[in-house]
Amino acid sequence: MTKFLNRPLQFKIISVCVFANLIIFLVNIFLILGINSMSQDMEMVYQDNLSLNRLSQALTKVQDSMTEYLSSKTSESLEEYYRAAQSFSDLAQALDDTVTDLTFSRMERNIRYMSQNYLEEVAQTIEAKRGRNVEKYRTYYESSTRLYEDIDEYITSLNIELFAVNSGNYLALLKAFRRFEIVGVTVMTLVMIGNVLIITSFVKTMIMPLKNLADSADEVSGGNFDANLPQAVYHDEVGIVINAFSKMVVSIKDYIEKLKESMANERYMQEKELIMEANLKDAQLKYLQAQINPHFLFNTLNAGAQLAMMEGADRTYEYVQTVADFFRYNVQSQKRDVTIRDEVTLVDNYIQILNVRFSGDIGYEKQVDERLLDLVMPSMILQPIVENAVNHGIREMAGAGRITLKVYRRDDSVCISISDNGKGISQETINQLLTGSFSHIEDSYDNNGIGMDNVISRVRIFAGYDDAIDIISHGENKGCEVVITLPMGGEECIE
Amino acid sequence: MKNQNEVSYEKKIVRQYLLLVLTLIFMLVTLVAGTLFFKFYRSDLVSQAESNVYDKYFVMITDNYKSDFWQSVYKGAFEKGKESNIYVDLFGEQFSKDYSVEELMEIAIASKVDGIIVYANETLEMSHVINKAVDAGIPVVTLYGDCTRSDRLSFIGVGSYSIGKMYGGQIIDIIKEKRREELIESETIEERSQIKITVLANADTKDTGQNIIISGIQETINQDNVTDSEYLVSIVAVDNTNSFSVEESIRDIFLGEEIPDVIVCLNELSTVCTYQAVVDFNMVGEVSILGYYDSEAIVSAIERGGVYATISIDAAQMGEYSVTALTDYHDFGNISEYYLADVTLINQDNVEQFKKEEGDD
Repeated sequence: MTKFLNRPLQFKIISVCVFANLIIFLVNIFLILGINSMSQDMEMVYQDNLSLNRLSQALTKVQDSMTEYLSSKTSESLEEYYRAAQSFSDLAQALDDTVTDLTFSRMERNIRYMSQNYLEEVAQTIEAKRGRNVEKYRTYYESSTRLYEDIDEYITSLNIELFAVNSGNYLALLKAFRRFEIVGVTVMTLVMIGNVLIITSFVKTMIMPLKNLADSADEVSGGNFDANLPQAVYHDEVGIVINAFSKMVVSIKDYIEKLKESMANERYMQEKELIMEANLKDAQLKYLQAQINPHFLFNTLNAGAQLAMMEGADRTYEYVQTVADFFRYNVQSQKRDVTIRDEVTLVDNYIQILNVRFSGDIGYEKQVDERLLDLVMPSMILQPIVENAVNHGIREMAGAGRITLKVYRRDDSVCISISDNGKGISQETINQLLTGSFSHIEDSYDNNGIGMDNVISRVRIFAGYDDAIDIISHGENKGCEVVITLPMGGEECIE
Repeated sequence: MKNQNEVSYEKKIVRQYLLLVLTLIFMLVTLVAGTLFFKFYRSDLVSQAESNVYDKYFVMITDNYKSDFWQSVYKGAFEKGKESNIYVDLFGEQFSKDYSVEELMEIAIASKVDGIIVYANETLEMSHVINKAVDAGIPVVTLYGDCTRSDRLSFIGVGSYSIGKMYGGQIIDIIKEKRREELIESETIEERSQIKITVLANADTKDTGQNIIISGIQETINQDNVTDSEYLVSIVAVDNTNSFSVEESIRDIFLGEEIPDVIVCLNELSTVCTYQAVVDFNMVGEVSILGYYDSEAIVSAIERGGVYATISIDAAQMGEYSVTALTDYHDFGNISEYYLADVTLINQDNVEQFKKEEGDD
């Protein structure tokens, strides 16, 4: 049985159905056999009467042929007589000669012996006729005729007797047949009910693991990975599915566990990195702070300015004052946002310092809409851009280099444009700059340490969109323009 | 939880096995029971067709197989035959046509039976067929009526003379009673009437038994000092050549001028007919009937006083004797020539007792 239950589902279902059908088939065969044999019995019921009729006919034939021979003495009639006598004798021999309680059997016996007697008489009659013994064959004829009549009467009586008996048998058979019908239908019904029960129970047992699996799957889908997993009892398809499901659930659980672990790891690593970075920055700052005390620098520079003023060196005074301002801004600008005015002033100061350094080589032009100067923007933006323009654009141009700073309004935005007439930048470089993939060389001792990428990213973050800064260059020696577009509406944020 | 599931699963499987086995058992049992039932039913049919097989086959031939008398004779013979595995057939009842005793004898001879018991008579024809049967090797015994001139083996009957004596005794009783009555009623001896006794005899037979009965009656009366003038015995021939003539002949007696005082009937049918006629002609008490045989009707008539007395023949014993004669012949080759069955008289004195005995049987 276990072997059977381990077979594939299809095989099991088919064999249960085949089994049920087989049972019904068997019962049917039995019923049909029964009905068949009963109907055969019924067919045989009146067989005796038929054979008796044949016997009676044969007897009449013997008598007729004998009479004919006696009257005409033709060889045809003699032949006919022999044939008839033979067939009658055969039929009479077939009769039962036992004596029983049953009337018809005794009658049969008597008919049999009477027939033998009759045939002997008839044979003697024929013999006498051939011998032309008139006297004798007359007597024989009379006695055989009397016997013929007696036999005929006897056969008729037997026929009636048999008919009565057979009718009784027929009725009994018919009754039995009806009973058989009822019993047959009952048995069929019961067997069918049994079959239905068997099939139902089999299918239920086969489906039950699936149901359990469905319940478990429901539970698992609800998120409970610790749900009770069904056990595969037999290795049919259902068993395979159950096993696969169990394995799946277990491996999902494992996977989730691993994922959790690795995520925790990653987070830990990130945290560590951040801390390290912060520490580095802190260290850098502290280092810088440790290098220069800006107040000390300002005070020193202020002292130098006062000295220059006392000595009447106005230009020196102005220069030192500008340098001091420049550095103070740098120190002050720890805070993030400043006004455009501050930034523009810083650029002014820077250009002034550079002009002192390079003895007025740089031409500086300003087109500023004063109304916009109080708007807010990130600090330390314009000065690095101008520094870039000077360093990479116009440094080698001697007196011809020119920087133009424009602040104007366009639609709802404030545009700050810084352009030069220097070497220009290739489109490739522009792209690199804008995408942040430009690798700048940290060699410049001559800058204040803030690179273009830093500027670009800060402007973008402040404006909230990517095209807040654009670099335009029309080719070699055609100069370069950096345009910063900031949204209006930062007025309230003025410090 | 897991365990519970498994347990319920196993339970289900067990239940399923149980169901499967039950259905299979049910099916098998039904099929086996059905087959057995069917077989029994078939064998029932077959046994119906076979029943007992007998070694020998005797036939009993009588003139009227329907009468109670012959039925009880046959019953006795049949029971006796059965003991030795012989079937005794009451010949004639299976035919649709009515055959005479002689014709039935012819048929029995042609059928080569193993023995014939026949109610014979003294006709030439009868002795002829009996001889024919004996020639054909079939032993014949005569029953109740003899055929002395034939080669029959043996006669089984009743003692006719003793029956005559019994009748005679009863008649003397009747005569004495009448005498007493007349002594009281009449003055002179001349006025005394003669008592008329009529014996109903079958017309066609030269039955010796009948004659012996009649002479027995006469002898008995004579011995008892009764003078001839006191009684007159007459024999009336009853025509029994066809089925209805007996009744007609008896009516004729009552329609005649001289109605007898005592009627002696020598067979069952005439007894019944006479009794009915006495009732019809309103002569109960005036005519005394001496009946024959103890059928229910006759016995109840005795109780009511319609019949004076009757002879009870042990019919079954007669049947037994006839079969015994034939079997003895088959076994030993020769047998005694006469067998006599017991005869008893029933009148109002012993009718109650007789009925009781019958009831016991």
